[in-house]
Amino acid sequence: MKIRNYWNLRDFGANLWENASRPKRVAIALISIGFVALLPFMGASFLATPIASYDAVLVYPVGMFVLMSLGLNIVVGKSGMLDLGYVAFFAIGAYTMAILGTTTKLNTWEVMPIGIALSMIAGVLLGIPTLRLRGDYLAIVTLGFGEIVRLVLLNSSWSKGPNGIANVPMPPNIGPLKFELENQKVFFWVVMAMILLTIWMIRRLTVRRPGRAWEAIRQDEDAAELMGVHTLKYKIWSFTLGAAVGGAAGVLYASKNLYIAPEMFTLNVSILILACVVFGGIGNIWGVVIGATILGYLPDRIRFISDARLLVFGLVLVIVMNFRPDGLLPRKKREKAIVKREANA
Amino acid sequence: MASTRKTLLKLDNVTMKFGGVTALNGVNLEVKEGEILALIGPNGAGKTTVFNVITGVYKQTSGIVDFDGISLGNQKRYQVTALGVARTFQNIRLWGDMTALENVITATDVHKKSGLVGALFGFPRARREETENRERAMEILRFIGIDEYSDRLAKNLPYGVQRRLEIARALGTGPKLVLLDEPAAGFNPAEKVELAATIKRVRDAGYTVLLIEHDMSLIMGISDRVVVLDFGTKIADDIPSVVQKDPRVIEAYLGVPADAS
Repeated sequence: MKIRNYWNLRDFGANLWENASRPKRVAIALISIGFVALLPFMGASFLATPIASYDAVLVYPVGMFVLMSLGLNIVVGKSGMLDLGYVAFFAIGAYTMAILGTTTKLNTWEVMPIGIALSMIAGVLLGIPTLRLRGDYLAIVTLGFGEIVRLVLLNSSWSKGPNGIANVPMPPNIGPLKFELENQKVFFWVVMAMILLTIWMIRRLTVRRPGRAWEAIRQDEDAAELMGVHTLKYKIWSFTLGAAVGGAAGVLYASKNLYIAPEMFTLNVSILILACVVFGGIGNIWGVVIGATILGYLPDRIRFISDARLLVFGLVLVIVMNFRPDGLLPRKKREKAIVKREANA
Repeated sequence: MASTRKTLLKLDNVTMKFGGVTALNGVNLEVKEGEILALIGPNGAGKTTVFNVITGVYKQTSGIVDFDGISLGNQKRYQVTALGVARTFQNIRLWGDMTALENVITATDVHKKSGLVGALFGFPRARREETENRERAMEILRFIGIDEYSDRLAKNLPYGVQRRLEIARALGTGPKLVLLDEPAAGFNPAEKVELAATIKRVRDAGYTVLLIEHDMSLIMGISDRVVVLDFGTKIADDIPSVVQKDPRVIEAYLGVPADAS
């Protein structure tokens, strides 16, 4: 157990942040963001991914995994509901983009709010009847939901069935930033912006009423309800926000991949995203970011060992989870109120 | 003198059956505003079931629960709390991974209007309510006398503080009626004396208290009235000194070996 003290990056980071003054915090944030934004230029270093294009790997899987894991973390980590059908929202976002992008003149940014809205509606519609269930029962229903969405897409004519939808338009250029297939830096920056927005949203909510409600629900749902927390409402909110992030990721994915088909939205994706959350540290934003980055990046980094790579990938998962059962950066358990001191702010 | 006070909570002929077991059998109970009413009885008498029926954990098989003119029969649990009934739990059910202060703040949220959107965009009302909640919660912790523990995780607190934090959390919901389920369980005599003083202070601050307790000296010292349940039936309802001498109460406690605890 002693090893943990040396490994306690979480408290190290949290202390660094809490003891920093405001300008120092801004500096830390800007330097971190700047460093991440420059990642696509480091393709020549040891980070390079053999066979796969480094730029592309940074967008998908890495960036997309981080985004989706953050979304799933709202559901699984913050409010403690096991959702095994998260890919459904990703699929809804992606198909919204694909169908509207090929049949109308709407561009990616115009489809984005529609895709997010449809995912959220799906989240609410699924949530109202199912969120009365708990634990394993909820997991099974969400798993079913994920499969239903995929099977509907596979068997419907409007979704072009197993052929999928090709020629999804790319996003229009943002000023001098051009979206290109060969050079996906701009895509990466867009994903990064979406990730930052999601992190901002989660941090805002965590220190206020919704975060407390989710935390109470996660720890003891009956006690929460008897202390006046409208549990169903906050569970649906949690589900819906998770869906919104998944939908947003889907819209961008469709317009980056240019082609989507039902086989991209299998149960495996849900499980992999869940693995990112658990591997990184369930409930901790930074843990989830790191977990998703590693699990997204690793299979492509070790692509040179071809078939053995999934074996190595699985081995890494097993070993790390053995040594750090709570994930790389576990949930904060420090003795300090996470409530923002509004009076000083 | 008690009869001139307003009735806050009224259970009218409440029966609660679980399959073939009758946990409550036609219980009538009145809680007057501003009193401390003790609910006692041997183990399995149905005391906690009364609490669970009032707070909406169980739906009574028959009978009426009336709180301040509103029937609690069809209310959801969180609505019952919003109406002004708060409770503690026999086995402590705090949110262990939250600090003591956060536990109470979460309870104070019940009467606040701002929701998720306000919190996300930092609307003025949401910000103001956060500050209000924080101050209110701190006030309650001071009132109960555990403010020095405000930043400690609930699960790491000493047992006695956890018990008192449960009371603080219940007060956080701004209740008219506080239901205390064995608040002195596991306390030593000194702690019990302290708790009795706390409960009296809670009452003097304007709350009405309905209390389940086993410790007779505690009950006789602080309660205005005592209701005795045995096998789901009310067998006595009077001031402590009278109840203490009631032969049926003595029989319920001493005369049935199978129920002795």
